[in-house]
Amino acid sequence: MKIKNLFCSLAFAAGTVLLPTSLMAGDSVTITNEVKIDNFSFGPQTVTVTVGTKVTWINKDDIPHTVTSDSKLFASRALDTDDKFSFTFKSPGTNNYYCSMHPKMTGKIIVK
Amino acid sequence: MILESAAPPAANAALAVEFVMGVALAGGMILARRKRFKAHAVCQTAVVLFNLVVIATFMAPSFRHGVLPGIPSHLGRSYYLLATAHGVLGIIAELLGLYILLVAGTKLLPPRLRFTRYKPWMRMALAVWWLDLLLGLATYLRWYVRLH
Repeated sequence: MKIKNLFCSLAFAAGTVLLPTSLMAGDSVTITNEVKIDNFSFGPQTVTVTVGTKVTWINKDDIPHTVTSDSKLFASRALDTDDKFSFTFKSPGTNNYYCSMHPKMTGKIIVK
Repeated sequence: MILESAAPPAANAALAVEFVMGVALAGGMILARRKRFKAHAVCQTAVVLFNLVVIATFMAPSFRHGVLPGIPSHLGRSYYLLATAHGVLGIIAELLGLYILLVAGTKLLPPRLRFTRYKPWMRMALAVWWLDLLLGLATYLRWYVRLH
């Protein structure tokens, strides 16, 4: 009986540890509403959120950057180190954006 | 580990144009040494006037957008310090160039505002211009180039 209980406990513990990992492995949606700017890049580069979500960008680089949407839906001022910029997405769609000071830096917010 | 530039095309173009102008000014100095003063005047005048276009179309908007919001509060950081030093020295170099053009090429200024010893003024202007060119290169590296 004790051995059976021990086996059940071990199985439960293993399941508890493995379950989130298995969920994450098959998950293509980035569960975050924060985009970090660092070393001339946006991370994650693609973020998927639901309508009404406020996305926040935070500049962790040691030089200023901007967050400017291709469609002019949103545009930040120059963000210095640790400055933040937020925008609430009110309609579904794909929003490509870039840094106007370093146009090679690009990112994407998918709103579902 | 390699260096990679994240500069927009306009910044690359401005850097290239500024270096061409710096070389042209040095070439103009050689023309003066060879007593080809007319060609010297045309060369230096063209560079000083064309630089006004570069300042107005690229340098000033870039400074207003990327640097002005951070000064004086962030002037202690190299990003702002280099760009500000480059901007201030650039204005001095351009004004110096325009002043020399007015004195040497026109009769617009009254005698009390004119100089007669051309060489020291022109040499100083060239030195300030090249120093600012190096500061511009440093600014470019700080703003746009990263280790990858």
